[in-house]
Amino acid sequence: MSGDDHIANGRACGEDAAAYALGALEPGEAEAFRRHLRDCPECQKDVAEFEQTTGALPDAGVRYQVPKDLRRRVLAEVRTTPKAAAPASRRPPSPSRSWRPALVWGGAFAAVAIVAVVLVVALSSGGSSTRTIQASTGSAELQITGGHGDLVVRRLPALPAGRIYEMWVQRGSATPTPTGTLFAVTSRGTASVGVPGSLNGISAVLVSQEPAGGTLAPTSAPVIVAHVT
Amino acid sequence: MRFRPGAMRNLADEELMQLVHDGDVQAFEVVFDRHASAAFSLAYRMCGRRAVAEDIVQDAFLSLWRSGSGYDPRRGSVRSWVLSVVHNRAVDAMRRLGAKAGLDVPDEGIAERLPAADATDAEVERRDDARQVRTALDELPPDQRQVIELAYFGGFTHNQIAVMLDLAPGTVKGRMRLGLTKLRFFLGEESRVTI
Repeated sequence: MSGDDHIANGRACGEDAAAYALGALEPGEAEAFRRHLRDCPECQKDVAEFEQTTGALPDAGVRYQVPKDLRRRVLAEVRTTPKAAAPASRRPPSPSRSWRPALVWGGAFAAVAIVAVVLVVALSSGGSSTRTIQASTGSAELQITGGHGDLVVRRLPALPAGRIYEMWVQRGSATPTPTGTLFAVTSRGTASVGVPGSLNGISAVLVSQEPAGGTLAPTSAPVIVAHVT
Repeated sequence: MRFRPGAMRNLADEELMQLVHDGDVQAFEVVFDRHASAAFSLAYRMCGRRAVAEDIVQDAFLSLWRSGSGYDPRRGSVRSWVLSVVHNRAVDAMRRLGAKAGLDVPDEGIAERLPAADATDAEVERRDDARQVRTALDELPPDQRQVIELAYFGGFTHNQIAVMLDLAPGTVKGRMRLGLTKLRFFLGEESRVTI
C-alpha cells in the first residue's frame, strides 16, 4: 500500500478506499468511488488490502451459537426450495426450437403485470446502483456491483406447488432469454437471486411465474421488469 | 459423486460450494454449520436484535443455496464472502430500521454464547484468530479504533461519525485509513508498512 494519496480528478482519492472498505461512504460517494475504482489500479490495490483487513473484524466479537430454530428453518427451506439451475450447465435454447416469445412477452408488457414492480436502474458499465420501487403487492430492487446484479424481492406471493419464479434477461429489444435461474420465495415473500453473468449489454432483467423446472420460453406475463440503462 | 456421511465434512469450502452449486443439500448443511455461527454473531452484534439477525442470516444462506448469489472463489474465501453478504445486509437493515442498538449489545445477550468446552482444532484456531484481532484492535489509538468500530459494527457513514464526534469528515476518513493500515500491520498481513 502506498503511503501517498494518489490524485484523481484533481483530488486525493486514497482516503476513500478505507472508508469504502468499511462501508462508511455515503451512497452517492460509494457509487462515484466504484466508478473511480475501475480506472485506478492504486485504489483497487488499497481496497483489496483494506477489505482483507476488515474481513478479520468479525472475529473480534463475541461468538454466539446459531439458534437451533434458525438452523431448522434454513435447512427445511432448502429441502423444499428448488435449486437454481447452474447457468453453465443449462443448455441455451436451441435456435431451431419453435416458440413464440414475442407474442407472449408482447402480451405481457401490454397487460397489467401481476405484481406490477418496475425498476429503472442506471448502469454505467461496471458502476453500481440500487433503486427500489414499491408496488401494491411487493417490491424488488436490483443491486448492481461491478457490472453484476443481485435481484432482491420482498412480499412476493408464494407460488402453488408445481410453479416457480424464473429469471430472464433481455438485450436491447431482442426477445428475453432464460438465465437458468429459478427461485421460490420464503414464507415472508423474500428472495435474493444473483443475475448470472455480467449485466453489460443487458437492457432488462425480468421474472415470470413458470412451471417447476423452468421453461425455455416464457409462458406468463412478467411480474418483475427491471430496466437497466 | 456421492460421499459417505461424515466424509463431506472433510471437504474444503470450495469443493463444497461446487456440490452446493449442483444442488447437494448435505454439502449446503456442512457450509451452513461451518459459517452460520460467525454470520449470526456478526449480524447480532451489528443489529442487537435477534430476530433481525436471524432474518439476515437466513436470507444470506438461502441466497447462497438458490444461486450462489455471485460467489466467486477468485475473490476470496467462502467465509469472507458470507460475512461480506451478512455485513452489507446488516448495514442496510440498520439504516432502514434506524437501529443502532448494535453498539450497546452486551456480551451476555439473549443469544447463547458458544460454550467454552467446544474446543475442536478448528475452534481453537478460531479463538487464536479472534484473540489476535482483539489484541490488534486494542493496540490502535482509541480515536482510530473508535471510527473503525462505529463504521464497521455500527453501520454509520463517515459523515454521521463526523457529526457524532464533532470532527471534520476528512479527519474521520483519515483516521479510518490510518487505523486500517495499522491493523493490517498488527495482523501480519503486511510485513512493512508506514504508520
